[in-house]
Amino acid sequence: MSEHDRTQLGAYALGALEPAEVAAVDEHLATCAECRAELAELTEMKELLGEVPPEAFLEGPPEGGDLLLQRTLREVREPQAQEPQLLEPQTKPKRRSRWLLIAAAVVVVAGALGGGVVLGRSTAPDSNEPVAGSKQVTTSDTTTGATMAATVEPRAGWSWVRVQVSGLKAGDQCEMVVTDKSGRTWVAGSWLVSDKAAKNGSTFGGGVLTPIDQVRSVEIRTVQGKHVVTATI
Amino acid sequence: MVWAPADPGIVRSVADNPGPHDTEILIRALYAEHGRSLLAYATRLTGDRAAAEDVVQETLLRAWKHADDLTSGSGSVRGWLLTVARNLVTDRARARAVRPTEVADVVDTPPVTGDHSESVVNTMVVMDALDKVSPEHREVLVQLYYRGRSVAEAAKELGVPPGTVKSRSYYALRALRAVMAEKATEVSHE
Ligand SMILES: [Zn+2]
Repeated sequence: MSEHDRTQLGAYALGALEPAEVAAVDEHLATCAECRAELAELTEMKELLGEVPPEAFLEGPPEGGDLLLQRTLREVREPQAQEPQLLEPQTKPKRRSRWLLIAAAVVVVAGALGGGVVLGRSTAPDSNEPVAGSKQVTTSDTTTGATMAATVEPRAGWSWVRVQVSGLKAGDQCEMVVTDKSGRTWVAGSWLVSDKAAKNGSTFGGGVLTPIDQVRSVEIRTVQGKHVVTATI
Repeated sequence: MVWAPADPGIVRSVADNPGPHDTEILIRALYAEHGRSLLAYATRLTGDRAAAEDVVQETLLRAWKHADDLTSGSGSVRGWLLTVARNLVTDRARARAVRPTEVADVVDTPPVTGDHSESVVNTMVVMDALDKVSPEHREVLVQLYYRGRSVAEAAKELGVPPGTVKSRSYYALRALRAVMAEKATEVSHE
């Protein structure tokens, strides 16, 4: 591999190079901190990909007819055929609404697209907008010197947590750990602190499957287990 | 441009006609687009086609009952469906594990180790990010990562030189990182 041929690093991180190519990249990496740092970032992305199962990229209906579809439709039709007062509340859509219709419409037109489609992008307010009911806490840790602004946003049964942390060192591998009121902990993701983030503050967001009123604290620590800063929500 | 709605007219006509068949349209549409993906995933997790069909049916019913969640904009629809399917499989395995008379069933069920719920939201977040990179970038990641192809195999499959596969996979990972960073940055703007 020639000097700093970074375009090899993607296939290297994904494990798709031939053994001879891997050896060449290894040789360069041994002497080049810059490429090692770049590789760390790419590897982090590869690990994210592992969150998605390979079946997510299959398209279309199941093979072998639509018996399953017919069975499912029967399930849907049956409760609707009854008198309304006989319906159990949970068998009825919460809000049988335009959302449903828009969802159906977008899915219909999205038929040719790969990998699913984000309905909310065109039909709902931007999910990144500040959400009513969010909680914000700013805190400092006098021992580690780190400062964090944490925001917890309510979602449907889960919470989106984002943090702005300053006082981290470049190269730190951090993880965000959320503790709920029962004492259970959730890792909401991990990241590598870049030079820029060490200077300007590191921003990170992740989701946890616990409702906002159950979120007790948000801790940032290194992947190696060193405490950085904790915000009590 | 693949990502543009093929026919905006369909959107309008469905949205303007809230007839009695709207739920049926939703289920049919979800089945037609995501059915294969869901069934293959559920079959792998359960190791059993019949059980997998039950899981897919229940997933579609939940999509119908929770259309609000589905449209809350927090991730891709497919990510939501796959997540629900996985949770159903986990729940079934747990329910079975507490019934001592069906030990034989437990043996047939792939072990469910630990609790997957902490990665549940991440599946949706990553799928959403994959939706946002270009189709070329997504395709090369699917070939090299999800299908486990070598650079040479992917080059053949995609009809581009191996060098292009390499550089594209590099830029695809960079693009993914940019999307993830943007998600993190956007959410900090208030
Ligand atoms: Zn280098």
